Amino acid sequence: MFANTKVIKDIIPPKIASAKLHNLALVLFATVMMTIPFGASPYPLTVMVDVGLYSIISMGLILFMGLAGQISLGHAAFFGCGAYISGILTTEYHIAPWLALFLAALITGSIAALIGRLIFRLHGLILAGVTLALNLVFFYLVSSLVDVTGGTMGMMNIPPLSWGQFTSQNLLFNYYLVWIVVILLLVFSLNLADSRAGRALRALNIHAGGSEYAAQVLGVNVTRYKVWVFVLSAVYASLAGSIYAHYTRIIEPNSFMVQSSAMLALMVITGGRSSPWGALLGAGLIVGLRQILRELIPALVGELSGAYELIAYGIILALMLLFLPGGLISLGRRAVPKRESSQDED
Amino acid sequence: MNSATALQIFFSSLNLGSIYAALGLGLFVVYSVTRVLNLAQGEFIMLGGMLTVNFYQVGIPLFVSIVMAIALTILAGLVLYRFFFYPARRSSGATKVFLTLSFAFIVDGIALRVWGWEFRSLPAFFNTQSFQLWGATIFGQTPWVTGITFLMVTGLFLFFGRTIWGKALRACANEPLGARLVGISIERMTLFAFSLAAGLGAAVGALITPLTMTSYSIGLPLTAKGLLAAFVGGITRAEGVVLGGFVYGMIEAVTAGTVPGGYHNVIAPLILAIIFVARRRGLLATSQEG
Amino acid sequence: MKTNLASLKIAMTSRKKHKKYASGTSLLEVKNVSKTFGVLTVLKNVSFSAQEGNILVIIGPNGAGKSTLLKLTSGLLPLEEGEIWFKQQRLNGLAPHYIASLGITQLFQDIQLFLNMSVIENVMVGCHLSSKTDFVSSGLRLGWAKADEKMIFKRAMSQLSLVGLKDKAFSSPISLSWGQQKLVGLARALATSADLLLLDEPYSGLLGDEIEWLNQLILGLRRQGMTIIIIEHLTDILMGIADQVIVLDHGEKIAEGTPAKIKSNKIVIDAYLGDESSKMDG
Repeated sequence: MFANTKVIKDIIPPKIASAKLHNLALVLFATVMMTIPFGASPYPLTVMVDVGLYSIISMGLILFMGLAGQISLGHAAFFGCGAYISGILTTEYHIAPWLALFLAALITGSIAALIGRLIFRLHGLILAGVTLALNLVFFYLVSSLVDVTGGTMGMMNIPPLSWGQFTSQNLLFNYYLVWIVVILLLVFSLNLADSRAGRALRALNIHAGGSEYAAQVLGVNVTRYKVWVFVLSAVYASLAGSIYAHYTRIIEPNSFMVQSSAMLALMVITGGRSSPWGALLGAGLIVGLRQILRELIPALVGELSGAYELIAYGIILALMLLFLPGGLISLGRRAVPKRESSQDED
Repeated sequence: MNSATALQIFFSSLNLGSIYAALGLGLFVVYSVTRVLNLAQGEFIMLGGMLTVNFYQVGIPLFVSIVMAIALTILAGLVLYRFFFYPARRSSGATKVFLTLSFAFIVDGIALRVWGWEFRSLPAFFNTQSFQLWGATIFGQTPWVTGITFLMVTGLFLFFGRTIWGKALRACANEPLGARLVGISIERMTLFAFSLAAGLGAAVGALITPLTMTSYSIGLPLTAKGLLAAFVGGITRAEGVVLGGFVYGMIEAVTAGTVPGGYHNVIAPLILAIIFVARRRGLLATSQEG
Repeated sequence: MKTNLASLKIAMTSRKKHKKYASGTSLLEVKNVSKTFGVLTVLKNVSFSAQEGNILVIIGPNGAGKSTLLKLTSGLLPLEEGEIWFKQQRLNGLAPHYIASLGITQLFQDIQLFLNMSVIENVMVGCHLSSKTDFVSSGLRLGWAKADEKMIFKRAMSQLSLVGLKDKAFSSPISLSWGQQKLVGLARALATSADLLLLDEPYSGLLGDEIEWLNQLILGLRRQGMTIIIIEHLTDILMGIADQVIVLDHGEKIAEGTPAKIKSNKIVIDAYLGDESSKMDG
């Protein structure tokens, strides 16, 4: 109809699943996750803890990237914020680990709010570039502040979280801690997605067919929502970071670099941007793939799998983007027919 | 600060500035045709350096190695276009950006597999000695880096501003329908843009390796810095990108020379980010774009 | 569209009547508004006022600045020269979402439905201002948040019924015809309970029945006390329902008055209407 029509190949269709289905799925999922440890050996449980941690960050990222349609290539920095702040508070200031966890989330959220207010006039791709650069800044900052963070050597001897006689030295404790947080956040995220705030966020998702202009004239405070969802996703990442720090007890800057941010984006895109479930799918798949490669490659080729992992991630990301832009989640939905749209995107 | 140090910083600024300008231009070339950020630009630089090292270490003469490296990197750029970008040409900008990211992953993985994780270096191109110039110590390689990137930058600048081809390239992003109507093939232009960006990146990579060493992982951080430099200047215009590059180079040189430790890597990007946010669209971009 | 006009009339009377704004003063006052983009002057010193409960139609050739005027009113474009007053409040410099909360909403020429949501969800976004649930209360599904959500759903459904598309509530907007999408956009705008509705070429792309349907809808809304500003090209139809007409040409207001006056205004006929009326019958 207008001169600038384009066929948008990767429009994500609306979610019209029923609430009952979701509740059932949630209950089933929770039950399964809680009972897995009985009769499982330590190795799979360790992997599951990783999956859980990545799921938490990814869920936050999905709210930001999937729902609101923004791009962040620097979320590993928030993961790192949570980890380092928790570490510093407990090792330097001897604050109790649980309190440190909470404070870290608060501080990270505030930092995100500050950054968010500054960069939110930026759109799409420029935002991607700036978040990438900010991740870099975080990395160098942490590497340089040797006295506070241990620099590139890392921070050690972070005290574990404890509950009665259980500490995060205990694998089972970690597993349950992580997965209970995952389930709680999953419920929270699902509720959020299907609410007034969730609709407002989705309205901002230009890439998936939303419209900021329309949202504005309907009374949606675009800037405020963008900042809030950014803060929320940062808090999710921070929680994961703190748990991670108290669990592994050693953290170093390299884990929070740009490559990790890219991997998070990979998980989100693979699982499916449009629903928090996608985070679990994505995290599960990518971590699973990573483990398989770590087993297989040394056996088959006799080398370390690092390089092959990178290549695999790249290929999967490309395949997803080209053939299944809605992620694996979209397999459970009706396919959307290609359709001319008069939206000008980007 | 004595004049020798000041001079050192000055030369360092020129050097870093022209590198960042060249980096930014590589990004600009692709952006101006496609409105997409090529997150794999840093990988082109990495490839330029690593391939040159590879060929040189096998015994091929240095300059032939460089040429071969550039050629192969251009090939990589073509692969990026044909297999990653072109199939997605109808998808959104974000998808295309992530596709360049996936390409970056794959290239990094292959690089890691082929060359391992160690850093590698090259001897300086002509004079391996450092020399003194008005009291400042300069590595032999530096004038080459500065000079050649400067030439490339100027060349590209003129190309985009003055020649028909350059204008055609920019038309592709600004006015795709109009461009098609006058007979410009957007696909061919995009192909050209990727090749140019790849070649440019590779040349820069080969040039800076004697100075800063190279390894499989330098790609993404370089891209990040290049993006920042380009944004600050205004990624919509070539002049802006060049200016941004020099501003970044200057800030980094100054902070590296005055602030102890590795903090210059923190402060420089931060200052740039602040400038960018305050200015909001880059120092030179027109009010409509950005 | 199969629903008939009679049922529309019934639906319209059941709609809540608009509160009358302080009578005597204009609802919207545009004073000496100008807008330039770089060297291009799109609007030059335009002034007019809209009375509550009126339908004001803005006509003029393409590029006359009509859409720009609407966007300046709703806040999507910054207003630097001139003033716009709504309910005796100055709109200069206010954010669009705030202006929306004051009671102005807009329907775009290309509608801009949220393609990533179902039809009913689109309309539910229209109810955004009538609720206060935020992130936390939504995420935790607090009691009042749930009640709020139900209320929004019901409101949205009734707006959708008003435009006759209740059975399409759970479809994707992509599957609707252009005319139906227009109506969804209108339902969404109406859900805001705005006092001033800005319609940018609402009739474009509508065929046959749909035009009359929209007419009846607009007339019905006026009966409810809503003020509507419409930009259109189909001057013939609009002359029938307009209370007030404003003619813009090259960014300047060249005429203003009742439809009858405008039709016989020589300047207008020369500039614009002349070609139109010779093409149309009667």
